Amino acid sequence: MSELVTVTGDDFAGSAHVDGATVQAVLKGNADYAAFDALEMLLNRIHSETKRLAANEVVVDLRQLEFMNSSCFKSFVSWVTDIQELDDAKRYKVRFLSNPTYHWQKRSLHSLRCFAVELITVVEQ
Amino acid sequence: MEPVAYFELNFRPNVALVSVVRRFVTEFYERFLSDPDGTSRVALATHELLENAVKYSKDGETTIRIEVDVTQKPIVVKLRLRNRAEVAHIIAIKEILEGVASAPDAFTFYQQLIGKKSKQRQGSGFGLARICAEAEMVLNQHIDNDMVTIEATTSVGGAR
Repeated sequence: MSELVTVTGDDFAGSAHVDGATVQAVLKGNADYAAFDALEMLLNRIHSETKRLAANEVVVDLRQLEFMNSSCFKSFVSWVTDIQELDDAKRYKVRFLSNPTYHWQKRSLHSLRCFAVELITVVEQ
Repeated sequence: MEPVAYFELNFRPNVALVSVVRRFVTEFYERFLSDPDGTSRVALATHELLENAVKYSKDGETTIRIEVDVTQKPIVVKLRLRNRAEVAHIIAIKEILEGVASAPDAFTFYQQLIGKKSKQRQGSGFGLARICAEAEMVLNQHIDNDMVTIEATTSVGGAR
């Protein structure tokens, strides 16, 4: 596994690494207004590296993410839009790992998945 | 248990305080509600409304009042935020609420908004629509000159 990017804030942390044909990302803490820039940087880096590596899937582990505000949710919408705009051969899938005890995740990931049902799967663990 | 529990804060919120208040009100809701999903919904709405206040309050001051009415079955939770706002923000709120009202349902409107704003990099503009669609709260707005009051109301199952 090789590390792609790590971002940290007072109350938020994110990292991504490559594992074979998959990029794995983990988000922890509180994705609120203060985390917005870090999250944008993380998602931009994941997108560029996933394209460069021709990886076929990104797994995003949200199981330790306590909360996400609408600005950070919008960052995910923008990322998914960028994936949708790739050529068919370069388009990759996104699998979210969610925590059923953080109830907002079920609702927000449902909203995101409805926007890009062809790209997104959600697994509760 | 008293029929209506409430608290009211008059403060100058900042970015860091929003999450502090969300965690505080989550504990407040948990004191009365045995429905974790309901607690999560109203905590999300509280956070989004407070962030709106941080971004758009004219003088930085915001009053938030939270009521939990356990005499109703299901329980009714009402959030009320008051702050002074610029005309542009008042119009933006009105447009979102009119959009939700004219759509078949709040989730449909939210999905349309997500599609419309997906390419914009600055700001989300999702906050109020998210409250309606994901937090399943009904929003109402009252305007008195530059004073905006937003009320968010929902029913939550399960009293403690």
